[in-house]
Amino acid sequence: MDQPLSLKLASMSLISQRKLESILALCGDKKDLIIDPILIKPLERICGVGWLRQHGIDKIYKMDPQLGPTANINKVYFIPASVQKYKCVLDHISSLISQNASLADLGCFHIIIVPKFICSYDSILESRGLYGIVKLHSFSWELMALDEQLMSLELPFLYKQLFVEQNHSLLSSVAMSIWSLFHVIGKPKILFSVGKLSASVLDILEVYNETYARDFLNNNSSQEIGALILIDRNQDYQSSLLTPATYSGLLSELFNINCGHLDLNVKETIQKKGKMDFGFKDEDVASKNAVMTLDSSIDNLYGEIKHRHFSEVLSVLSSKAKLLKNEDIKALGIQEMKHYVTTKLQQVALFKQNLVNHVLACETIISDMSQKFENLKFTETDMLNNRNKKANFTFVDENFGTDIHIYNSLRLMCLLSLTQGLSYDEYNSLVSKYLMAFGYKYLYVFNNLVNAGLLVQPSSPKLSLSISNLSDRLPKWQSGFQVAANKLKQLPSQPDKVNKSSPSYVFNGGYVPLTAVLCNTILTSESLAEVFTKLSALSDLRVGGDILEKFSNGMETLNQKLSDLKLQSDLEFGCKDAKGLSKLMKNDPNIGNVFPLKPKSVFIYVIGGVNYAEIAACDLVQISTGSKIYIASDCVASGRDLLVAST
Amino acid sequence: MDDDDYWNTSETKAQALSFDDDVLSAQEIIAIGQTPSIGKTEDSIFTNSNVKSVLLPLSSLVSPKVLDLILLAQSGKDPNKVTKLESEETVAVTLKRLVLGRSCTLHVHRSIKSKKELLDGAIAIGDGNAILSVVLFLIQTLNKKLVYELLSSRPLALNHYISFLQNEGKVTELTDLLTMLGRSSEAAIYQFQHYVKTQGNNVDGLIRKMSNLLANYFNQPAVDAQQSKLVADYVKLLEWQKYVNKQELNNMSPLYCLAYCCTHHWHETAGNMMSPMTVCQRQQITPLQYDWVVLNVHAKLHKWDVVESLFTKKDWLGRTTVSSHIPIETLLGRLSELQASSRLMATCVNKVAGADDRLRLAQMYKIHSVVIEIFAKQKDRIALTGYKMTLNPQSEEYILAENTLRDMSIKWKN
Repeated sequence: MDQPLSLKLASMSLISQRKLESILALCGDKKDLIIDPILIKPLERICGVGWLRQHGIDKIYKMDPQLGPTANINKVYFIPASVQKYKCVLDHISSLISQNASLADLGCFHIIIVPKFICSYDSILESRGLYGIVKLHSFSWELMALDEQLMSLELPFLYKQLFVEQNHSLLSSVAMSIWSLFHVIGKPKILFSVGKLSASVLDILEVYNETYARDFLNNNSSQEIGALILIDRNQDYQSSLLTPATYSGLLSELFNINCGHLDLNVKETIQKKGKMDFGFKDEDVASKNAVMTLDSSIDNLYGEIKHRHFSEVLSVLSSKAKLLKNEDIKALGIQEMKHYVTTKLQQVALFKQNLVNHVLACETIISDMSQKFENLKFTETDMLNNRNKKANFTFVDENFGTDIHIYNSLRLMCLLSLTQGLSYDEYNSLVSKYLMAFGYKYLYVFNNLVNAGLLVQPSSPKLSLSISNLSDRLPKWQSGFQVAANKLKQLPSQPDKVNKSSPSYVFNGGYVPLTAVLCNTILTSESLAEVFTKLSALSDLRVGGDILEKFSNGMETLNQKLSDLKLQSDLEFGCKDAKGLSKLMKNDPNIGNVFPLKPKSVFIYVIGGVNYAEIAACDLVQISTGSKIYIASDCVASGRDLLVAST
Repeated sequence: MDDDDYWNTSETKAQALSFDDDVLSAQEIIAIGQTPSIGKTEDSIFTNSNVKSVLLPLSSLVSPKVLDLILLAQSGKDPNKVTKLESEETVAVTLKRLVLGRSCTLHVHRSIKSKKELLDGAIAIGDGNAILSVVLFLIQTLNKKLVYELLSSRPLALNHYISFLQNEGKVTELTDLLTMLGRSSEAAIYQFQHYVKTQGNNVDGLIRKMSNLLANYFNQPAVDAQQSKLVADYVKLLEWQKYVNKQELNNMSPLYCLAYCCTHHWHETAGNMMSPMTVCQRQQITPLQYDWVVLNVHAKLHKWDVVESLFTKKDWLGRTTVSSHIPIETLLGRLSELQASSRLMATCVNKVAGADDRLRLAQMYKIHSVVIEIFAKQKDRIALTGYKMTLNPQSEEYILAENTLRDMSIKWKN
């Protein structure tokens, strides 16, 4: 099996296809597929219409509460794991049964739920009298290769559940995706987790490993991946909240991207749509926009510019345009012309189209962002470094009072809150301006932001005076964020002078994403002890994988672990705390001889959505360390998407 | 225009994009790119273009045995058909089955001790589905007081239950739970969210629910005073909306309502319910936000005379100056986006105190008369000559620059 890893990863769609096939086989011969629109694009990456027909799908409908009767008796509903959508489907089924009671006995209703159905779905079914009439199926599709070295589970609703609602019902799907992945690429010698959810995923992963007889797995460690790193989104919200400076990052600021397809709506960008509405909304003209596929293997030009700082992109495009211009086809003879038409013309036409799309996108970015970009950039960098707090607040407050944006303004507020903090009065000033602009109905949004950890709600001065002592209220030279970020070398001292070899270029030299720091540390350390030292500022670093067997107490079964469990202590089943392990390795700083990492490649998996700036920063680390970094997540999400999840 | 100029100015609009005279323009190329491909009908849901043709065969990815295992794991079925006796169902066995998504009977765990162990085990593993399963089982089999006691010391389990109640719309139970745990301010806000999401724009329903919430939950000492004030303001606005009875204003924001009144009732006198001033005072809209709305509304209606009368005034020397709560740079930026007259822009930029800032902004927004004036004041002939070159020959500004350069009264420093 020495196929290139990228091809193996792309081919995992066949496993998804096989999984779907096994479900469809249980749903009767000739059937209708009723699909929730958000699942269409991801499903297209797994199978085509032809394949669906081969597997008994006769007609395809979009799921809609008003959907009337469909052609076939057998119906397969295909929805994401959302209680609301699930109930909507059950309503639909109930109404069909009320019209024709005999349907209840035919076993003709199936609901496929992505990535899985959770326990409450069964009880909802039972309570509606549909148990036994409707059959539920979990479809846990595999990671999808969106671009070279970029994998996504395409579950954009996961962040909201995991972080805003703090409901971890679907967390095991992440573990299952990794478990499948390991069957294909082998198991890395060492696994790292940063954050609580990541640690839980390693624990759940170990339950799978223990259950599904280990001997099925190729027990040799992976030849292609040296380490897996799992990280929770909330361990580095700054990377999501900052305005990216890369081309792909800015694209995701302005355009909707669904499953790697960008909708090039240059008239109504996200930036424009989120502004206050004064009652002058132009009639929504449903324009057919160009669609750009953000995949370097399809669009080479995109591959060349995606990670670049935006200031360089136009000159690259310009040089490409000139090359195109110089290709003079008039000088060709008739035979040459024929050859050109049959072999190159289509390619050139496609290239031209891509070029035009990228130029249009660039111009939209410039016209939408340029005015504010400079000031925004300075303010953001000042916030990160805890400078000019008063001026930063004034900047945000003024933005809230004038050209407020429904998501991006909140994003600024969150960034200020997480880096420099907001006083009670400042907080309320922003909240009240926001509600004036968009409506009091959004009051709950701030509660959700606080729950997600994106915002810190200051307590009322009356209350805090009695509780806290004076030192808490004095201005601080460094906040907790700056202390940790400085230890991890995330804040370049002179952002203006950062050269292109620093991953911080993705934020104009202001900040190095934590993902890049983790990859860089793990790829360049000489020993495990060195990794621990360099990452000691992380409060929630854990280690898992076969390396744990090297430690004296070794692995225990889940039964043993649970029997020793004390209330609210850590299970330490699939992974162990780095601080605890450090003590055990005094005599053997490079226990297990995992470091320097071999093969020199890592797989980093962000739980709660990775963003394009992080992807670009990791790409730079892979170049500078001469390694390979594969990135995976449950979806590719911009900072705005995190805020949308709170509304 | 030369190609290089195009790429360097980057302000050029899309229609200017053409690489060569007989090369298609951007629009034309896009048009070609969008001609429907063969066999693709308008109403087909699938585009069918994404399945990559070159993939490895499944068998070279994973062995058939492993593939079966992967399918088994997805289905949550138990490979061993032997159903164990229920009594052998230990806490660990149950938890494992829960995590794997297999069917299991929680009901064998009847003692409080094993119930607690189940809960703590599920929390320790961290699988939310297992946690929720156990919590729902506890709700079924223990009395509420005991469950709440268990949950109150286990925040993760509590969160799962809260999320469950929220998704199920069981708002009364959620309120009881949180109130019992002494978290009444959260109870208030969760109810708020529930009513906002279920009532839609039904003003009557919202007034009833919100007034009720305000009286029973938000006005309690545990709730932040600022929050209850905002809810009170909400009720006040809803009452106004009920009174004016305009469908399009229902449950809209204060500023939206203000914009509506500015558009349709600008000349209404202060006491009238539809007067912009009434809305402004009722909802205590800040002067900054008021100015912003008034500016945008009138500019979009092309009533520049109103804008000027509101935002400029004559000083005692008879000069026109700008007076607004909107900070001057923000105001300039917005005026430029709204395509204000260059005269208004000039008045506005003249308000900027520092000469350097004034020059920077005048250049940024291409307020030529001001730029020329500043260069003349600085007696900087070279700069002015340079600037003249960037202007359109024969334009008003060009002539102004030329005349200024010829002005004998200026003693040029260079």
